[in-house]
Amino acid sequence: MMDGWMDQQTKLAVHLWEFPLMQIKDMSVGMDMDVSGVSRTHVSIRPSAEVKATLKPEAERPRCSSTPCSPIRGTVAGYQILHMDSNYLVGFSTGEELLKLAHKWPERPSEKYPSPAAVSTSVQSTVPRSVDLGVHRSSRIFKAKSRYYQPYDVPAANGRKRRRSMPSSRDTFFRTLTQGKVGKRAQLKCLDYLNLDKLNIKESSDTEVLQHQLQHLNLRGEHGVSKKKS
Amino acid sequence: KRQECSSSGNRTQDSLLSASEAGVDPALQSSFSKRRGKKTNPGFCQIVTPTANSLLTLDMKVQHGCNSSDMGIPVRTEEELRRNTVITPEDVLGLQKITKNYLCSPEENVHMIDFTRFKIRDMETGTVLFEITKPPTPAGSKKQCDPNAGRFVRYQFTPAFLQLRQVGATVEFTVGDTPINNFRMIERHYFRDQLLKSFDFEFGFCMPSSKNTCEHIYEFPALSEDIMREMILHPYETQSDSFYFVDNKLVMHNKADYSYSGGP
Repeated sequence: MMDGWMDQQTKLAVHLWEFPLMQIKDMSVGMDMDVSGVSRTHVSIRPSAEVKATLKPEAERPRCSSTPCSPIRGTVAGYQILHMDSNYLVGFSTGEELLKLAHKWPERPSEKYPSPAAVSTSVQSTVPRSVDLGVHRSSRIFKAKSRYYQPYDVPAANGRKRRRSMPSSRDTFFRTLTQGKVGKRAQLKCLDYLNLDKLNIKESSDTEVLQHQLQHLNLRGEHGVSKKKS
Repeated sequence: KRQECSSSGNRTQDSLLSASEAGVDPALQSSFSKRRGKKTNPGFCQIVTPTANSLLTLDMKVQHGCNSSDMGIPVRTEEELRRNTVITPEDVLGLQKITKNYLCSPEENVHMIDFTRFKIRDMETGTVLFEITKPPTPAGSKKQCDPNAGRFVRYQFTPAFLQLRQVGATVEFTVGDTPINNFRMIERHYFRDQLLKSFDFEFGFCMPSSKNTCEHIYEFPALSEDIMREMILHPYETQSDSFYFVDNKLVMHNKADYSYSGGP
């Protein structure tokens, strides 16, 4: 059962994060707009030949070994990502996207990993607002995938090398990654600001189970406790 | 995005129609000329006139010294501000930590300010780091089930981002059919509820039914290795509140959180 679940998670991970790197070069878009902001002229975003090349499967495109996996997506919940330099930015999400992810995650067989549907069912309960349990779970998978990520120097235009991440922090970082403890509590808060109780969510057949699981979550309290004043 | 803003002045120009070619009302043209001389607006602005349906560029000098030291600003709590009928820039400048909830509802955006494009670039190399656009929402489109879903974004940066010194953020936005006076944004970044930096940008006056583009320069201070390490190790514990004011009244409140681990 766990293997089946993992396969499903992996598939979702692939769907979300394994798109080929897409770098659409700056494009000048001149358009006529009416007062409502609606475009009057057809604007076609024509990828250059270089962009088309980047849309090929990753195996065909040489990648630097230090370049992390780049979960570049073309669209994110109504937004269109025109450019994302994976040297600096590997992901962008909106609240709407995160909610969708939370709703998509299948029910977990174990109480340790409550289903993201629990997030939706917290709408009608009095339990504290759950957060992105689905993202938390996906983060576990993605941490494993990025285990071998190596920060690298980013040369400046004037040839001056920029400071590399401190080896000590990198080592600690990877050690923590392996232990799966990086930002666990913090990630649980990502949907705290969304009014989940106002969502019109289709009832799950396992509402009672999920609500019971949610009752054990006290994310706001966890966040306050886990903070370490520097 | 990290801390600190010192909009250090960056002018760019696009080759665009002149006001006369665009058929701009002379009165409007006059107001454009007046704006050109002001130093209050950061970056440069492209303005689409309602009459010409074309683009005009105005050079706006970037505001200097927008670094907010919060000196002399009384400390405020979120709970206190919630009791206020109106929340002012000085109110949010007194906040010492990230707010738990939004300080205004989406409906308070009575000026129909809508961000349609956003771009950030490294000022040292000119490298565009990220660019995103949002197509206009069709009339009668399905309303989001969560009113706050559109007010929250998440960035997943790599540790290399923390090495940048200056980042330019270009934002394009449309406004409704009323003129906007003194449009201002205060953005406060926190790591674990510790204020890292407060940014204060003024967009100035915006014409009704216009599309505007402005670039703000974020100048990042040098962070200690310890802080950077902690920020990398604890994704999404770096958070920001973006407060938008018109005539010194809060009309919008957006939130974001950040990871610097290079992963989700």
